[in-house]
Amino acid sequence: MTGSPDRGPDAGAGPPPAAPSAAPGPASRALTPWLERGGAPWLGLAGVAAAGAAWYVVFPSSLSLGIGLLLLAGWASAWDLLGGWTGQTSLGHAAFVGLGAYVVGVTATKYGLAPWWSVLLAMALAAVLAFLWGRITFGLRGSYFVLSSIAVAEILRLIAINERKLTGGAIGLFIFDLDRPFGLDLFSRHTEFWLALGYLLLVLATTLLVTRGKLGYQMRAVREDEASAQAAGINPVSVKSLAFMLSAALTALGGCIYGIFLSALQPQPLFELHLSVRIALVAIIGGRGTLFGPLIGAAMLTLAGELFRNAFAEANLLIYGLLIVIVVLFVPRGLMGELRRRAVRRRYAKSAGG
Amino acid sequence: MPRALEAERITVQFGGLVAVNDVSLALDTGQIVGLIGPNGAGKSTLFNALTGYAKARRGTVRLFGSNVERLPPYARARRGMGRTFQIERPFEGLTVLENVLIPAFLRHANRAEAEAAAMHALELVGLSDRAVQPSSDLNLARRRRLELAKALAVQPRVLFLDELMAGLNPPALKEMIGFVRSLADSGIAIVMVEHIMQAVTELCEEVIVLAFGEKIAHGAPQQVMNDPRVVEAYLGGADE
Repeated sequence: MTGSPDRGPDAGAGPPPAAPSAAPGPASRALTPWLERGGAPWLGLAGVAAAGAAWYVVFPSSLSLGIGLLLLAGWASAWDLLGGWTGQTSLGHAAFVGLGAYVVGVTATKYGLAPWWSVLLAMALAAVLAFLWGRITFGLRGSYFVLSSIAVAEILRLIAINERKLTGGAIGLFIFDLDRPFGLDLFSRHTEFWLALGYLLLVLATTLLVTRGKLGYQMRAVREDEASAQAAGINPVSVKSLAFMLSAALTALGGCIYGIFLSALQPQPLFELHLSVRIALVAIIGGRGTLFGPLIGAAMLTLAGELFRNAFAEANLLIYGLLIVIVVLFVPRGLMGELRRRAVRRRYAKSAGG
Repeated sequence: MPRALEAERITVQFGGLVAVNDVSLALDTGQIVGLIGPNGAGKSTLFNALTGYAKARRGTVRLFGSNVERLPPYARARRGMGRTFQIERPFEGLTVLENVLIPAFLRHANRAEAEAAAMHALELVGLSDRAVQPSSDLNLARRRRLELAKALAVQPRVLFLDELMAGLNPPALKEMIGFVRSLADSGIAIVMVEHIMQAVTELCEEVIVLAFGEKIAHGAPQQVMNDPRVVEAYLGGADE
């Protein structure tokens, strides 16, 4: 899972600096210009797909762990569109995970809706929720958005607990039966693993495409300096809203898969602050505003949790805490953030020296 | 033919403090107007009111005949108001080219076209050889030029320069004066807040002097500098 290249999508952003004069070897002649033009992250995506497939073959008994890792990586990457690339920290993304899971659960059990329709419905609802929530809070400055994000997830949790007719209340909801798209059994761990891998790749590809285009640069401008962004004709509230809607819809999509994976939905773990914090932390540790950072962070935390689970049993939270302290003190940009910064500098040094 | 910029009777108040009181200003395409005055005279506040960053309590701002005083800064930028900031504000995490790419996207939705436009703006200010450098690595003179390139990339018809020359050494200053002159010659109306008198006298046909938020003089640079009220504002006030 950690075999990704050490370059964020930014590294390939500029035009090649005046065509490097070093003669490439015959094999790399076609590859090098493609990498220079920004092909490297796509290669990284292929690497992620290959690593996922390898996991499936090598650890057939750890599919659930793999699904958990892939979903967490996908959520953290989706979170990063808003939290990293746009600089708006949310501690409420569990709201969208829960929303996705519950929409699939409720529509399947109460209305017999096919999962592919409920997935679209969940994504649309998440985007609408993000839009309304952003309209109210993005006008505010400072930490108000963070605070409001905690509140929204909490409100959804209370709704899930109290709207018993719809959600089964605190006891929860059980998904017994789902339509089988193309004859696939959605309750099989094998299907779910591939769905989760496809989901992560979709989020990564979306991030890559968005961050290379107009919206992606506007997001970064808003993150770096709102006044300067306005001077560039950018409406910060619209850009934040768009990023938030995209982030929310993608998170909800992962929530749908998670709901099917769990089959038993309860308000407590789904809308919990703990999940929101985990999503944010994973992205921060791995590197905010980098393509592969959230994935690296998810892999680190998940695998560290697995490794130490037997050794320290209940010490998982302690390890979380330690990791956070280490990252904040020594690599505040996150692992991939630090690597990317070095790559950009190396690249510049090369073009200036060559 | 409406004037490029026409601001009438602008008043900005912060609580009980009147930062700008009843100041008017107008200029045409290709003209450079200087805004000078002692520190705290309200120059930057007037600037912010004209570009939308400060809320004017009274007064109107017309850009080529259409009223913009109620519009937020980004909407004024889209209508052709470009500005630089006194403390230059590059998008720190990005390269020089990416910094200019962001405003260039305003006029070109396509990445390749926006990149070409950004590169053109960098060439205009002589920074094209720095395109792939992280913007946080630039020295002061180059940061100023980057600031100017960012403002130019929105293709402004009226350009606001906030102390663009401050802190530049003589060769860099001379170069920057040259850039600004060529911009005006290309048909951009320019308002500049400036402390460097060499730049003001070389560039501006018209100067407005502010003191304590009021316009105290208005005219050609030489004529204004000999105005006794201006001399007093700069030298005389014991509380300045």
